[in-house]
Amino acid sequence: MRKNALFLLSVLIIAGVVLAACQPAAETTSEPAISDDASMASETTAEETVPTEFPRNETIYVSGAAWGPASTWNPFQPGSLANTTGTIGFVYEFLYAFDPQTGELTPWLAESGTWADDTTFDVTLRSGLTWTDGEPLTAEDVAFTFELGKQYAALWFSPMWEYVESVTALSDTEVEFKLSSDPLYQEFENNLYNVPIVPKHLWENMSEEDITVGVNENPIGSGAYKYLTNSEDRNIWVRSEEWWGNDVFGVPAPKYIVDIRTSSNNVALGMVLKGEIDLSNNFLPGVAEMADKGYVKTYYAEAPYMLSANTAVLFLNTTLKPLDDAAFRRALAFAIDVPSIVNVAYAQLVKAASPSGLLPVLDKYVDQDVMAELGYYFDTAQAKQMLADAGYVDIDGDGFVETPDGEKIELQVTCPSGWTDWMAAIDIIASSAQAAGINLKSAYPDYGAWNTELQGGTFNMTLNNWASMSNTPWTLYNLLFRHPIQDQMQSGNFGRYDNPEIFNLVDALARIPMSDEEGMKEACSAIQTAMLTDMPMIPLWYNGLWAQYSTSTWTNWPDENSASPTLPTTWSGYWQLGGLQTLINLELVGE
Amino acid sequence: MKRYFLRKILIYLLTFFLAVTIDWLIPRFMPGDPIRNMLTRVSVSSNATAIQMMYDYYSHLFGLDLPVWQQYFNFWKSLLQGDLGISTYLFPTPVTKVLARAVPYDVFLLVPSILLSWYAGNKFGAFAARSKKLDNTLSPLGYILNATPYMWLGILLAWFFGIVLGIFPIAGAYSFSLQPNLSLKFIGSVLHHWFLPFASIFLVEFGGQAIGMRNMIIYELEADYSHYLGTLGAPKKLIRKYAFRNAILPQITGLALKLGVIVAGALVTEVVFSYPGIGYLLLAAIQNQDYFLIQGCFLFIIIGVLIANFTIDIIYILIDPRTRMGMTGETA
Amino acid sequence: MKVLKNKNEILFFAFRNWKLQIGVLIILLFIFIALIGPSLAEFEPFQYANALGPVPPSSEFWLGTTFFGQDVFSQFVHGLRATFTVGIIGGGIGTLLGLIIGFIAGYKGGVIDEILNALTNIVLVIPTMAVLLIIAAYLQVRTVFIECIFIGLTSWPWTARAIRAQTFSLRTRDFVDLAKLTGVKSLRIIFSEIAPNMMSYLLLIFILQFGGAILTAATLDFIGLGPTNAISLGLMMQYSVLWGALQFGMWWWFVPPGLAITIIVGALYSMNVGLDEVFNPKLRGM
Repeated sequence: MRKNALFLLSVLIIAGVVLAACQPAAETTSEPAISDDASMASETTAEETVPTEFPRNETIYVSGAAWGPASTWNPFQPGSLANTTGTIGFVYEFLYAFDPQTGELTPWLAESGTWADDTTFDVTLRSGLTWTDGEPLTAEDVAFTFELGKQYAALWFSPMWEYVESVTALSDTEVEFKLSSDPLYQEFENNLYNVPIVPKHLWENMSEEDITVGVNENPIGSGAYKYLTNSEDRNIWVRSEEWWGNDVFGVPAPKYIVDIRTSSNNVALGMVLKGEIDLSNNFLPGVAEMADKGYVKTYYAEAPYMLSANTAVLFLNTTLKPLDDAAFRRALAFAIDVPSIVNVAYAQLVKAASPSGLLPVLDKYVDQDVMAELGYYFDTAQAKQMLADAGYVDIDGDGFVETPDGEKIELQVTCPSGWTDWMAAIDIIASSAQAAGINLKSAYPDYGAWNTELQGGTFNMTLNNWASMSNTPWTLYNLLFRHPIQDQMQSGNFGRYDNPEIFNLVDALARIPMSDEEGMKEACSAIQTAMLTDMPMIPLWYNGLWAQYSTSTWTNWPDENSASPTLPTTWSGYWQLGGLQTLINLELVGE
Repeated sequence: MKRYFLRKILIYLLTFFLAVTIDWLIPRFMPGDPIRNMLTRVSVSSNATAIQMMYDYYSHLFGLDLPVWQQYFNFWKSLLQGDLGISTYLFPTPVTKVLARAVPYDVFLLVPSILLSWYAGNKFGAFAARSKKLDNTLSPLGYILNATPYMWLGILLAWFFGIVLGIFPIAGAYSFSLQPNLSLKFIGSVLHHWFLPFASIFLVEFGGQAIGMRNMIIYELEADYSHYLGTLGAPKKLIRKYAFRNAILPQITGLALKLGVIVAGALVTEVVFSYPGIGYLLLAAIQNQDYFLIQGCFLFIIIGVLIANFTIDIIYILIDPRTRMGMTGETA
Repeated sequence: MKVLKNKNEILFFAFRNWKLQIGVLIILLFIFIALIGPSLAEFEPFQYANALGPVPPSSEFWLGTTFFGQDVFSQFVHGLRATFTVGIIGGGIGTLLGLIIGFIAGYKGGVIDEILNALTNIVLVIPTMAVLLIIAAYLQVRTVFIECIFIGLTSWPWTARAIRAQTFSLRTRDFVDLAKLTGVKSLRIIFSEIAPNMMSYLLLIFILQFGGAILTAATLDFIGLGPTNAISLGLMMQYSVLWGALQFGMWWWFVPPGLAITIIVGALYSMNVGLDEVFNPKLRGM
């Protein structure tokens, strides 16, 4: 019996190893689930062989962008943003790139762009652009891509067709955007660096299903990197030697990019310290100390160590009592202990936000006078005073105030379970509100439940940070004051704040051309005044562009002295904001 | 014998039926709307009609717009065809594909640790039962190991061997610099990553088996037949051999009872070591309210445990001659 | 089989059995810590006591502080209370359920026995952790008490099986038949004849349930499905791992909770074996 057991055991072990070896290899050749039209897109002229081992001096290991196995390479889906960062930015490119540090759009696929008149925007493409299958990238592809938004309402940029009349290819390299008489200039310019250009010759025969929700395996794009392979915990890209940008911007240094899906942040921490990850975009606790000791490098050598990536805003459900009372909301804003969030929960890795909610790069649009008059800051005594003034007193002596009608107040602030930094932050929010007399408790539902509450408007208070680096303040205010109010709010104004006046102000801002800086400042000032008077949501801090690098293999990472645009980030939607430039600037240690 | 078998099979079928029904039921009562969750991943369109259109499309695709009894019926139908639906969390990957990726790792982790710990633990327990001195020194080790929570042992091993000593990796199934192939280096990497998770499951189970075996052996040594053999002058070794054989039997059924606990232990071990198995997948599916993936994982675990139980029952019958001689029904 | 000797003999052996003694001592020690500890602790478990963040054990912070500067000792003693609560209540519910179901099945026999037996077997096979995961994920807010209930509701099957077996064997004993012959009512038979013989067995079972409940609760907490707004030893382990205690070497944060659970459950197992020897003279022989 002994011998048999041992034999059986070894057979099982070997079987297990062989199974593990064989099954991931089947990934790259499996059939897509929905239709087989997508497989037509997988014809590549150059077959990349997958090496069995990646040479260390040609590979960069990154993490922090993928939190689940890759499921799609469709550039029109946010899903591809979440788990296959690189589809947008590496494979598919845009007309413009945006430098968030200077706030300027630089031509990318475009060589130049001009406003012929108030409603006509002419773009001239660079010459010699090609797709990775050899076909040329022309104005036809650009027009085709934008027209997809007209055909299919499910694509995210389709609303732009409410003010775009036509997109025409005048020649191989000339594209003309004709807008209607009252366009949303801000959204239009925003789209110029966010709409990925897809190849007409491959996508024109795809069904609606494939275009809107298809997997798009083996994507063919025009970008600096190509898809190589993937498994459930890594996505691997290989450099495209035919990329047009090699001559214009420089050749990206690493040949292979291995994007690792880490199951949790602390695992990434260990790997960065060992040099197994070169660039980690995870939130790593204790990084401040690590950076001080020189174990990792960060963008800033001192606090806040990280660039600011987006604003963490506390959304208040304005349909509930007592959150429907502006006075209560304003008092709450003064009760929240943001300094503790910055110093304790984040150990100085973030900065407190401007009450306007705008990121530092858009500072010029913040009306400092309005801030001085209506802005809030942490002051428990002040908060208590404001509550009392508004009629909220503690009737039953339990330490918490009741409404002016005498009803008990019991509120809850939530964030997804597992988002440890936010969990710590809402704990502080709850305890500081309690210190001011507001009965607020923290809770951590699972992500799915939290998301449902967020969009269904069944939460009390919750955090959200979807407004990220942008070329215009309009994106933030569009998120905060999204309208019209619907049953499900999917992309903003989760607290269902209904104020037609502010909606009009935001719409008016959208219509101001980017060149009219004074006009924009005026519009922002009006919005900020209304926002801070009513306080429907409370901007709290700037979430960091978490980035820490190991200098064991690669060096010349971005830091505060680098010439922009270089952003040390692998997050999706950020490659065209300077992430690619980072890769171009990298050098091997020792060279 | 035949009646025994039939009875067993009936119970297993009934269990399977009930388990599948529970499996189908439970995720459906979870709070939240999975289609809506998935829609936020798939499309950011703010166009209300577009959203509604997609919502209807997916409800239809996933069969959620049918009346409940029909959904149940369809579930059985597709189950028997081997189709477990499409994952919403990893849309549009089919559930069977997602499971297929994770299953080998679980099998690879669980089977060796269960078999080895059972074997080694029983030997150790029998050894400890030889004398009082041995028992007093070795048994506490068994208690302590078995009392250790799986994840704490995992944490300790990860910390000590992975970080302090740095000789083992603590994340993933194989090195991030290698691609799967049948080279020695790759296999080495797989085993290198496998060892610590395996060790933490093995050690805890080892302790449990050792204690169990020790108890059974002592019990058998105190039975009448042992004393009788002793008075007849049989060597101690012979008595122990018979005692061992008799003690093994409850250990086999005991293993079946413990399978559920071991699966739970594997789950937390996977979490500690980021090992891409089914347990970990189940956790992610729950957090993302992916009905179909939850069902698939749960189903797989249940079927696995049922098959294991059945196998153990058969082994028991083969080994214990008493069952073959016509003992029917449950032995007390 | 268990044979009931008179009380004095039991106590005599109980005091001689070192396994039992050590086990009981350890448990009492921890209960003492759990009762007195929170009043000894200077800080609240979640209070940000140390502005410097994590520090190793010192005279001010007996078990050091967490990443946020929270007092580990305070978390430890409060968590100990939660752990004991789950063990007693969760284990108690499991024992009680198993007792009722097993007893009814064993005593009544026949069809009822078949049905209950089938039910037991089915619930036994279904991996409880998976069910607990799903149930725990339903609930938006989880308290220690709710956790106890669910652990109890899923851990009764093996107890039921064991009790049923015991009941079977006791039911057919002579003294029960005698009692029936003399016309004593069923209920009285149960309480006065069968129950005393089961007591010892029940005690052993409860101890195992107690330990099992603690382990299950720790596992649930560690995955993140534990009580919200409370602290327990499992939760301490979860936070320590999530906040990089391994990578930063903050051993004082993750070693004490796991060690405490190991020692407590180990003591319980030791008590179990010891009691077994006390009640069953045959095992004392070696």
